Amino acid sequence: MSTSREYLLSVQSVAKAFGGNQVLRDVSFNVQRGEIVGLLGPNGSGKSTLLNCITGFEAVDGGAIALGARRIERLQAHRIVRHGIARTFQLPSMPTKMSVIEVAMAACTRQHGVLATLLGLPALRRAEEQARAKAERLIDELLLSPVRDLPASALSGGQKKLLGIVCALMGEPELVLLDEPTAGVHPNLRRDLVEALKRLNAQGMTLVIVEHDMHFIRDVCSRCVVLDRGEIVASCRPDKLASNARVIQAYLGGRHSPQALEENAP
Amino acid sequence: MFDFLVSALTFASLYGLMALGLNLQAGYGGLLNFGHIAFAGLGAYGTGIAVQAGYSPWLGMAFGVLLAMGLGGCVARLGRKLASDYWGIATLAIAEILRVVATNEGWLTGGAQGIGAIPTLFDGVAFLLMMLALLGIATLLCQRLADGRFGRALRLMREEPQLAACMGYDLTSLKSRAIMASAALTAIAGSLYAHFMSYVGPDYLLASETFLLWTMLMIGGLGNLRGVLLGVFLVQAAYSLVPFAKDYLGFDSDLAGALRLGLIGAILLACLMWRSEGLIPEKVRKIA
Ligand SMILES: Nc1ncnc2c1ncn2[C@@H]1O[C@H](COP(=O)(O)OP(=O)(O)O)[C@@H](O)[C@H]1O
Ligand SMILES: [Mg+2]
Repeated sequence: MSTSREYLLSVQSVAKAFGGNQVLRDVSFNVQRGEIVGLLGPNGSGKSTLLNCITGFEAVDGGAIALGARRIERLQAHRIVRHGIARTFQLPSMPTKMSVIEVAMAACTRQHGVLATLLGLPALRRAEEQARAKAERLIDELLLSPVRDLPASALSGGQKKLLGIVCALMGEPELVLLDEPTAGVHPNLRRDLVEALKRLNAQGMTLVIVEHDMHFIRDVCSRCVVLDRGEIVASCRPDKLASNARVIQAYLGGRHSPQALEENAP
Repeated sequence: MFDFLVSALTFASLYGLMALGLNLQAGYGGLLNFGHIAFAGLGAYGTGIAVQAGYSPWLGMAFGVLLAMGLGGCVARLGRKLASDYWGIATLAIAEILRVVATNEGWLTGGAQGIGAIPTLFDGVAFLLMMLALLGIATLLCQRLADGRFGRALRLMREEPQLAACMGYDLTSLKSRAIMASAALTAIAGSLYAHFMSYVGPDYLLASETFLLWTMLMIGGLGNLRGVLLGVFLVQAAYSLVPFAKDYLGFDSDLAGALRLGLIGAILLACLMWRSEGLIPEKVRKIA
């Protein structure tokens, strides 16, 4: 693993099966600091499973995952987050008895001990104040201000996705993994999301985005990695996707022209 | 009549403390602890054993609290790999094991006779006033915990454990801290119970006591302190009123005992059918 230090995220030969279903066979790819990588692939190709393996929500059967120089494939999910990887879920579900702002504030995990809370220590009050200011700012940025005080479960699917992104950004992670962030999000909001993600990237955040919307990918991603039946079949710039034979084969079974890919999928 | 009222209120505040403890786990943490009474039992036996051995009752209370917190830590770790309903059954089993131990290890616990002659600390009204003050303080502390950063993490874990984990919360540690805080509060209540009755016996550890506490929470409203206190009051009132009705209407004691349980069962059923979240449901907290 001599190269691991050069990459922010390095995935080497990761395999994962559910029973007899070999979802990830031999997945290897690297992400450099500052990149925005699109993770593409047909439905069921294992994109969400790959994110789950990276973030510790599923145990890998084999292979290695490293964040910088640190191996993380055996760590528990909450430890991986603390090392600087945040994520969102494809189908986020949100609590019924907590408001949007409170969920966002919960994403700041500093100072949540029993005694600290009981005594109201200065460090805790500061953490609370910072969490609130930050949550307000991110909620405003992702246009959730009108629903700030609603129960988080009352949001629409698209708004829940945005709240998931707010939560992921609260901890100032180095690397953020977004699972289909624009699915269900209103087109007008999509533009704001593109802007917000680019801004965060300019500030140094590295992003891996699972996405089906080609326009979004072209606007945002600097590189695309294509997953098909549990293997990486391509890694190229977004504008080279349509002419990549293996990508076309992955999506259309090889029977269609590049134009078809442009028009239909991904 | 006055004495009766004082004692009824004292019982209510003792159960109130235990119910607040259970609410920390069940209301905020969503932890189905069906052996909660074990913590009160350890508090009571800690006091009884210390007093019997000639130590100060306060030392006994501290001993009981430490025992309960230790048990709480173990129970939380035990549950790490169990689904929540299986964990609930495990806690029920643990409380039963403790009761059997208390019944059989006569050299330590006085066996089925229990331990008597525990000093009452204060008499009648003074004890009640102390209890009411304690209940008030405990309520304020629980409120602070629930609305503050710890409670927020706990409530998120209750509803969306996956989201909580992906924010970086260590769910096992959250659980064990909630259970240990709850155990400490409940053990204090158990210790005071032993003082009030000046006796501790294995009957304190009956599973029905845990279910009584659960009934209070379910009637009043899990996760809402006003609801919890209302539930405690209602159940305790039903308990205390039946003996009155007995004298007034002239039916015998067996019937009165059955009526008591029947009445509480009916209230619980009515709540479950028409107010499934309790009389005062938990609300979304306002953040200004
Ligand atoms: N927890 C699980 N248990 C069993 N099979 C699963 C599980 N998660 C995913 N799979 C299977 O893995 C495959 C890939 O799923 P997924 O990673 O969600 O695909 P994608 O996100 O690329 O659409 C699917 O066939 C799905 O049925
Ligand atoms: Mg998916």
